[in-house]
Amino acid sequence: MVALVIALALIFDFTNGFHDTANAMATPIATGALKPKVAVLIAAILNFVGAFLSTEVAKTISGGLIKEGEDGIQITPALILAGLIGAIVWNLVTWLLGLPSSSSHALFGGLIGATIVGAGIGAIDGAVVVSKILIPALLAPLTAGLVAFVVTRIAFSITKKRERDGFKKGQIFTSSLVSLAHGTNDAQKTMGVITLTLIAANMQDSGTGPAWWVILVCALAIAAGTSSGGWRIIKTLGKGITDVEPAQGFAAEAATTATILASTHLGFALSTTQVASGSVIGTGIGRKGASVRWKTAGRIALGWLITIPAAGLVGAVAAFIASFGMVGVIIDVVLAVATIIFIFLWSRRSQVDARHFHQPEPGAFVRPKKKKAKR
Amino acid sequence: MIDWVAFVTVVVVSLVAASVVVTLFSLALRLGDGTEPWRRRASVALYVLCGAFVLFGIYLIVPALHTVGQ
Repeated sequence: MVALVIALALIFDFTNGFHDTANAMATPIATGALKPKVAVLIAAILNFVGAFLSTEVAKTISGGLIKEGEDGIQITPALILAGLIGAIVWNLVTWLLGLPSSSSHALFGGLIGATIVGAGIGAIDGAVVVSKILIPALLAPLTAGLVAFVVTRIAFSITKKRERDGFKKGQIFTSSLVSLAHGTNDAQKTMGVITLTLIAANMQDSGTGPAWWVILVCALAIAAGTSSGGWRIIKTLGKGITDVEPAQGFAAEAATTATILASTHLGFALSTTQVASGSVIGTGIGRKGASVRWKTAGRIALGWLITIPAAGLVGAVAAFIASFGMVGVIIDVVLAVATIIFIFLWSRRSQVDARHFHQPEPGAFVRPKKKKAKR
Repeated sequence: MIDWVAFVTVVVVSLVAASVVVTLFSLALRLGDGTEPWRRRASVALYVLCGAFVLFGIYLIVPALHTVGQ
């Protein structure tokens, strides 16, 4: 049972990885600062490294959200399993649609749904859900958008047009930093879940941090997921919302990093995905002459709204099936695997991969210099 | 219950930090455009400053570097 949960947790970690490659690498790929495959490789390595740097988030993942401990309800491995199934399925569905939705919210949603069915609505701390998940979810993209808007203005007012290609070099560093920040954040969530399971199964003392092998496999899983590249979401984020210029990419990444760092440092778990999307929208508003495709942005926002309920629903159904004992758990796993295979096969019908991001070599033939730079 | 001050802090800190990085980098690009030697030097200095700022950011996300004493 525990082994099963760990396996599913790692699958979730993998989907988390390829879902979130876009956060850091959509903008450098869109501007041609990095070749798609190189970008994805860098993201994978930095995610791997980032996973080792900090285990703070992993230590706090289980605290608060679900009431546990003395008079609370003990969450069982079966419920965690159901929650993970909800999270994985929702992650795959949004990936199929190319929506940059939050993997963290999928995980929270799945766990909340499973817990409501398994232990009743009283097991959820509503106040914590509002203050730690819902409000940050609303504010994070707004903050990132505002910051990205301001810094885009700064970047465009200081530099002249012909100097702006230099931002591509800067993008390599800022996007790497986003990847690193992502690794320190998102790999932790899976570590936290696995550790929670081990504690629930009495295989680890409560109050201890993740074991070294948990850190290692989680780092590997998220790096493998990242390197497989979520091209569909990269396409949406890098090209769907607005056309990104190098200066904008740099600005958006700086805004993303700053927002993630500031809030992580102050103890908010927020969604890297939502911050990155907010930044891209903000930078689209910030550049004169750039247009934001609000239809795409609206689709993404809608995806965010239904992430928690949808993952929660799947988690709840899975928890209900799992309540029939071992047989239910087996049915759950079989259904989950079938869904994964089905979505994978369905995705083959319209492939989006690295070749869709072909960029002309910088300077090869696209450098019109006829107009004198105005600013 | 809801810690509004913390949210405001996040907004302000993000805004200031991102602005600093982007301003430094933009100025470095701007100065690097000229031909006079002092501009080059100033430009490199700004790149270094920008890099240092980013390194400080990395320092902040790695708790092992600054919570050793706890």
